Amino acid sequence: MIFIAIILGCIIGIIVGNFAPVISYTYSAYLAIAIIASLDSVFGGVASSLNKRFDMGVFISGFFGNAILAILLAYLGERLNVDIYLVSIFVFVSRMFNNLAIIRRYYLEKFRNRRTKEVKETENNTK
Amino acid sequence: MKNWKIALTLGCLCCILTLAICIQLKTIDNTNLTVSKTLTGNELRDQILKWKEKYDKATKELETSEQDLEKVRLQSTQNDENSINKEEEIKYDNTLLGLTDVHGNGIVITLKDNNKVKRSNIGPLDNIEFYLVHAGDLVEVVNALRNAGAEAISINGQRITNFTSIYCAGNVVIVNGEKISSPIEIKAIGSPELLYGSIRIPGGYIELLEETGVIVDIKKQENITINKYDGIINTQYMKNE
Repeated sequence: MIFIAIILGCIIGIIVGNFAPVISYTYSAYLAIAIIASLDSVFGGVASSLNKRFDMGVFISGFFGNAILAILLAYLGERLNVDIYLVSIFVFVSRMFNNLAIIRRYYLEKFRNRRTKEVKETENNTK
Repeated sequence: MKNWKIALTLGCLCCILTLAICIQLKTIDNTNLTVSKTLTGNELRDQILKWKEKYDKATKELETSEQDLEKVRLQSTQNDENSINKEEEIKYDNTLLGLTDVHGNGIVITLKDNNKVKRSNIGPLDNIEFYLVHAGDLVEVVNALRNAGAEAISINGQRITNFTSIYCAGNVVIVNGEKISSPIEIKAIGSPELLYGSIRIPGGYIELLEETGVIVDIKKQENITINKYDGIINTQYMKNE
């Protein structure tokens, strides 16, 4: 259900994106950081929904809040001549890996459980 | 929280996310080719202009200080016959060193790359290198001119002095540290007949160049002006005995 919705959303996004206008080069760096931040939020949302700890308010505020905060920090870094955006990318990407690990473990366990069940059933049948 | 609500929000946000990614990809595709290249190009151009300005300033300063030196020299030698002779000597030495503009009869040689030959219409066994003027060609021509008694030589305005080097730097030739390229004009002062005859000698280097495909033009000319060497001659290691 969740994954069907995600894939559907992605397809709609790509179709609309093909007709979207091009933004100027200076802002594309900020947009890239916003994309990384929201990508992190989406993975976080998927991971928490698998653990049944999904909170809509946290998710939506994280999606937009993180993106805006990352853009602001990147802007501040450019003003101060410090590459703050590198740190924000580091944090978001490392969190993304954490969330991906949670998702991976969840499905691996599910897969294993099913296997052991099947093995038990076949054992029962043979008895 | 109902499951379908979660799915809906996740789907919507994914839609926004992919939209942003699409826009980003499009911008990068569009701009990487034009903007970043022109940015580095602009920077380089700025630097060139700055260096040129510095160079022009330095040459102007050099000129004014040379004029000052001349004035001081004239003042100090005004009333003394001995120093007038010395002054003449200095002038003569400077002329020999190539530090003064000189004029006289001589010949003008023009060497041009053969632009009609291109990679598309060249024969399979032919080499495009033969149709270009190389540093080695210039060295040969200068040698031939010196051998025929040329007293002053310049290549595209660069005076050949005791300290001149001629070498290859990719698609240009460096003479006196300045880049020159085709068409190359070599001026030489000396006996026009002698210079012309010796440079045009059958089996000579100019004939070879013409045969291989370089465009050569040689003219005898009266009252050629050859500019002075516009750099500074510095000696550091040699001492008088």
